[in-house]
Amino acid sequence: MIRTDVIIIGGGSTGCGIARDLALRGIEHCLIERGDFATGATGACHGLLHSGGRYAVNDPEAAADCFAENTILQKIGRKCVERTGGLFVRLPGDSKRYRDTFLKGCGVVGITTEELSPSRALDLVPALNPSLEEAIRVPDCSIDPFRLCMLNITSSQKRGGRILTHHTVTDIIREHGRCVGVTAREEITSGVKEIRGKIIINATGAWGNQVARLAGGSVPITLSKGSLVVTNHRITNMVVNRLRPASDGDIVVPNEAVCLAGTTSIPVADPDGIGVDPAEVDIIATQAQEMLPDFGATRLIRTYAGVRPLVQSDGENGRSISRGFRIIDHGDGLFSIVGGKLTTYRLMAEKMTDTVMAVFGLKRPCRTAELPLEGQEELSGYPLSKRLKNLEDIVCECELVTTDAVERVAGQVGTRHLGDIQHRTRLGMGPCQGGFCTYRALGIMQEKGKMTPEESMAMLRAFLQRRFKGIKPALWGDQLREEQLIESIYLGILNMEQEQ
Amino acid sequence: MNAAYDAVIIGGGISGMMAAITLAGRGKRVAVVSKGDPVCCFSTGCVDVLAEGENPLKGIRSLPEHHPYHLVGETGIAEALELFRGIMSEEGLPYVGDVHANRKVLTSLGRSKVTCLVPETMEFGGVDPHESFHILSFHKMKDFYPQYITSRCEKSAYSTFDAGITTTAGIAECFEDGGFLDTFVAWVRGRAIQEERIAVPAVLGRRNCGAVYHRIGAECGRRVFEIPTLPPSMPGLRLFGGLKNALLRRKGDVYWGGGIYSVEKLNDQIEAVTLTGPGRNTRVEGKAFILATGSFVSGGLQASRDAVMETVFNLPAYFPGTRDVWFQDDFFAAGHEIEKAGIRVDASFRPLGTEIENLFVCGSVLAFSEVMKYRCGHGMAIATGVAAAKTCMGAYDAV
Repeated sequence: MIRTDVIIIGGGSTGCGIARDLALRGIEHCLIERGDFATGATGACHGLLHSGGRYAVNDPEAAADCFAENTILQKIGRKCVERTGGLFVRLPGDSKRYRDTFLKGCGVVGITTEELSPSRALDLVPALNPSLEEAIRVPDCSIDPFRLCMLNITSSQKRGGRILTHHTVTDIIREHGRCVGVTAREEITSGVKEIRGKIIINATGAWGNQVARLAGGSVPITLSKGSLVVTNHRITNMVVNRLRPASDGDIVVPNEAVCLAGTTSIPVADPDGIGVDPAEVDIIATQAQEMLPDFGATRLIRTYAGVRPLVQSDGENGRSISRGFRIIDHGDGLFSIVGGKLTTYRLMAEKMTDTVMAVFGLKRPCRTAELPLEGQEELSGYPLSKRLKNLEDIVCECELVTTDAVERVAGQVGTRHLGDIQHRTRLGMGPCQGGFCTYRALGIMQEKGKMTPEESMAMLRAFLQRRFKGIKPALWGDQLREEQLIESIYLGILNMEQEQ
Repeated sequence: MNAAYDAVIIGGGISGMMAAITLAGRGKRVAVVSKGDPVCCFSTGCVDVLAEGENPLKGIRSLPEHHPYHLVGETGIAEALELFRGIMSEEGLPYVGDVHANRKVLTSLGRSKVTCLVPETMEFGGVDPHESFHILSFHKMKDFYPQYITSRCEKSAYSTFDAGITTTAGIAECFEDGGFLDTFVAWVRGRAIQEERIAVPAVLGRRNCGAVYHRIGAECGRRVFEIPTLPPSMPGLRLFGGLKNALLRRKGDVYWGGGIYSVEKLNDQIEAVTLTGPGRNTRVEGKAFILATGSFVSGGLQASRDAVMETVFNLPAYFPGTRDVWFQDDFFAAGHEIEKAGIRVDASFRPLGTEIENLFVCGSVLAFSEVMKYRCGHGMAIATGVAAAKTCMGAYDAV
């Protein structure tokens, strides 16, 4: 049995942020995550560090939070934030009145804006539609959600935080009407652990109701699926937004070697087992092409979808619901934190930790806005050239990941899955989408004794299915060629079978 | 500028090369034009004919009625495969196997793959999972992990040799060097391997693989076999090299490395194609043309969001329905609908739905070939390549 003060359920940005804040305020804690970090909405978003511009018109409160947090994260997270800047572009036919409302909204919230002529905008982003009417510059950035979670966790681990990834919470233990702990099952061995704590925090995003239900509670959230597509290269080096009310396909975000374009908004009942519909891909591609004409001829290497856990309100659709967050005290030692955005994860963690401190009657200030994220010194940062130190033994040619890097991560405690390596090294995230390097990475994991050959075969099989699910809605053009090559390798050359 | 060729073959893969060799072997002036090295360089080098059943030729009868194999017929297929075998032996890259019997080879994942004709270096690759064999692997080799095999084949074991280089092509190049081979053979002998058979990833040289293979076998007194690897695949490259040499030996011309720039047509005849090349364009005139550009991977077919196009002549291409039915949900469900896409032809391999008289089509650009579903890749390419060349020649001689 593990005894601690605070149990955090959920290893997304919110859970990881809470772990860091608790650690910095000297509170013992244990974080439990059913998969790896950032496997829910955190890792399935567009990796945008909002300037707040998108919400300035309809949701000034969320916009203000975003702008403040954007400034803080640029300061504390240099190695996981890329200061790309962003543009809101107005195309022929887009309302000029919305542009006025937008500028006014940004002014009220305090978001810095700069109005750019079409030629100035085209200087900054040559791929923009040359017939644009104007563009407004905002401090949007691109953020790596996987790195962000790992760095938050580093602070926790340095101060004795217990981190249990690949553990599913199966029950919340109640005694005398209070929640006093949880049972968690390890994914691979199915071993069960009991963890006891004074406070339990439900930071499971779209899975909030499933967890709250274990203690007989519920949370007021609405689930909205958002789908995205990944391009095979960076079409733009700045974030490009459409200057019009929030709608499908209104954003393209540069992220490392690729661009992410989205999104859609479709109500869903169950956060598990969602997929992307080919029609959504067509909508996103068509809309993105209006802003960036080259998008139509660009190879799409994958699609994915995440589920937004939005704070529920009556009679509103997914786009108009506030992106604000709420903390719910279930009154029995269980707290749920719902809503919010990746951009505001730190603020959410701060408020949640303040609540914990109040329960414990302790007064220690939050320092997460001032102290840089720990562990960044070891990271390479963005330029690919920095990863070229060791040209030999590159396992993943697309993202220049070396054997050494894979072996180092494979050797770390808690690395059980292929996904763990992918999130930590970016292996398989480039144009071939792991078609070649996955076979290699799993081979190395076997060699290192990190998994049995049976496990690695099962993982390879699951990986190929998951990969195919993400690629299938966007299969045409060169990506179809690539896919048929990968199929001929795994099913032809290797004669891999579905089941053993 | 060249005088008109008797036939111009577009595409330098197996079907195009076999068509060209067939024609050149009968004294015709032929040229092969190709964008670059073909997709068969990525293959195992094995000739799959039809995976279903013990006798692949018998199985052909049960294929759907539009499958291109039916245009060739059992006898035609068997003859084409024998022709291929003769050519490869002449090039010092003999193939073993019986066209009337499927056989198996071990893959890098420890699975058995059904095929028909195999390079001699894979003759002994048909191990069953309970047989004992010893794998010779290479230190940090990027694309070969012997544990994938030893976990499935319980009586197999492995040893690792440090070649000082980790890529498939790099190690294969080492084996071209006699000194390296001496060291390797001495190391193998020093291992005192007990098992009857020795397996090696397919890196035993590029051009001299026969000599390397036989020397290791003879000096170690064991039956040696190569295991096909991920691309770049040495057996695939050897296969392509052999066919290219065979064509050059028969005085065929090759134009390499350009895309097809434009097509000149007069009434129902194609007269010439122009290739883009580095710095200049080359115009190739022909009396007849054979299209052997392959399917999607090699670029003979191209899909847009809702249609499939043929990329050289813009021939009408068949494709199954809308994009949402092209692929099944299961990655492992070989035989996605999109595999049926391609060019439909008449009994003489002329494309349907066009006026063009002097154009013939062969290989995986043909509609309904469904190469992954039936595992008939190289066999279909060889059979239709030879058959299209023959009908092309018949038409030409008649004129």
